[in-house]
Amino acid sequence: MSRPFTPYPFTLVRHPARLPSLTGNRDAGHHSVVIVGAGPVGYTVALGLAAHGVRSVLIEADDGVCVGSRAICISRRSLQIFERLGVLEGFLKIGLPWTGGRSFYRGEQVLHFTMPHDENQKLPPMVNLAQYHIEQILLDRAEALADLIDIRWQTRVTGVHTREDGTALSVETPLGAYTLDADWVVAADGGRSFVRESLGLALNGTTYEGRYVIVDILLESKRPTERLAYFDPPCNPGSTVLVHKQPDNVWRVDYQLKDGEDPDEAIKPENVIPRVTSLLEMMGERGGWSPIWIAMYRAHALTLDRYRHGRVLFAGDAAHLLPIFGVRGANSGIDDADNLAWKLALVVQGIAGDRLLDSYSDERVAAARENLAQGAKSTEFMAPPSFAFSLMREAVLGLATHHAGVRSLINPRQTSAIAYSSSPLNVADDTGAFRAGPAPGAVLPECPITILENGQSRLGHVTDLLGARFALLTFSEDGAVSSTAIEALARLSAAAVPIALCPISQRSATGARERLSVDHTGRLFAMFDAHPGTVYLLRPDGHVLGRWHSPDAAAIVDAVLHALDQS
Amino acid sequence: MTDPDLDLVYTRLCATMTALGEPQANLFLARFALLAIDRIGDRETALQMVADAADGLPAPEVPRAG
Repeated sequence: MSRPFTPYPFTLVRHPARLPSLTGNRDAGHHSVVIVGAGPVGYTVALGLAAHGVRSVLIEADDGVCVGSRAICISRRSLQIFERLGVLEGFLKIGLPWTGGRSFYRGEQVLHFTMPHDENQKLPPMVNLAQYHIEQILLDRAEALADLIDIRWQTRVTGVHTREDGTALSVETPLGAYTLDADWVVAADGGRSFVRESLGLALNGTTYEGRYVIVDILLESKRPTERLAYFDPPCNPGSTVLVHKQPDNVWRVDYQLKDGEDPDEAIKPENVIPRVTSLLEMMGERGGWSPIWIAMYRAHALTLDRYRHGRVLFAGDAAHLLPIFGVRGANSGIDDADNLAWKLALVVQGIAGDRLLDSYSDERVAAARENLAQGAKSTEFMAPPSFAFSLMREAVLGLATHHAGVRSLINPRQTSAIAYSSSPLNVADDTGAFRAGPAPGAVLPECPITILENGQSRLGHVTDLLGARFALLTFSEDGAVSSTAIEALARLSAAAVPIALCPISQRSATGARERLSVDHTGRLFAMFDAHPGTVYLLRPDGHVLGRWHSPDAAAIVDAVLHALDQS
Repeated sequence: MTDPDLDLVYTRLCATMTALGEPQANLFLARFALLAIDRIGDRETALQMVADAADGLPAPEVPRAG
């Protein structure tokens, strides 16, 4: 059966190479930060630094955004990060939001799962869009910030020379080779990271035997956006098939190879097309379709032991490789970038000591280990690594229709925000002080609020209070701010720490404050176990640093200065 | 559960598995184990049962990756 391929419905822009002004064969500029790799992670680091006013050079070997079967699911946590970087609109405009999915066993539905979603949420739990969309949205924003982000296309790193006080990178471009000096290098150069190899570092963990064929196709269909999983389907007995909808009538189909199947043969169009055809027939999709892209996938669960190596910082796939099941790959990389950007910015600006960057490694390695554990469970179900996992999966799937108690084992365990519970930055709660609310290290949960600003009132959400700075959420009956909070703010501002006061009031008030948030639903105070006098101290990435019911100014100031390695 | 009750359940388990035939015995026992785990509803008890069930069984002569 022959079926012609069609390109992705996306216009690729090719970007020319460019040389900076050179002294000899050396970049004449001095760079605080050079980011290697313009993928979702590299852009997010660059935009995060720019939000703090820190310049960076972004080096990319390719000449434009990437095509092919890459990341397609962006989580609520990633959307929150993108909102702080001013790019949310593009994701919501292009992305297809979804909240759940269905799993089938031999043609019968055995699970309908939903991701956490309630009236408190501002953003969908997940949106689907192609990685070229993701990169294009981020690139558009980076280009608008050209004074802060210097993008160098068709520039390939060929050498990494680390020193105590910085790193020299050798690069090649079609216009010639040169070297450039950076105080800090962020390696966001993907799973086959050249920087990682140059430093002689290796990822550790597990590589799974099971292989999946990944196919993107063009298909017109009115089917809703959801995750579909077919176990042992009539169209492809013994296999597992996943289906995801993307924008512009692109569909992602993943199916598992059977034991002993030759991957080189399996990936040939003449072997792929009949399988997709029979899948679409089974799904009742009668419209015409075209293949776009075929790739082979093998699940990895690997990480570096540390993400900081002197003045080189690893993020995203360069630091860890996670299985696709549970969509933790790009999303965890975006979270790495968000964690790293504010810390690196404050170090570059001399506001924080460089030990703050050790906490980047501590927190994100811990997050990767949690992601690896969750990803391993997802993978063990989707590609059973032994006869026993296979047998038990068959038992689960066969029982799930009539026995609700086992259904959670089929749930794909989609990515969710990870708490840095054991972060060295956290200020531990006083014992028993809080019965609810985000503990130190956890991310801010979502809740609607009313924001009063300049005489105007608008509906908003508590995550709207975050920015490229620390935030001091002070809870009160009427919007009054304690002298303690004002004193803490003054002392931290004097130490050049970027921080904003965010008063939250139980009832509406017409104070003189520039900005006041009101808990008009009455849910926020309960959600945070807050009383008049309660304070939550938030990091720029939205994780809680500490919380108190009636702190003195020193408690707040010490928490921040300890985190910034100033005290 | 009395001794005669246990006897009855034991016999029914054997008879059911016999009727299903040996090729399906593994799957049958896997399903039974899952339902039992769900019914027990206690993590520590269930984990102890997993350990007790394996206790005393000889290790395979050649380690098998599966």
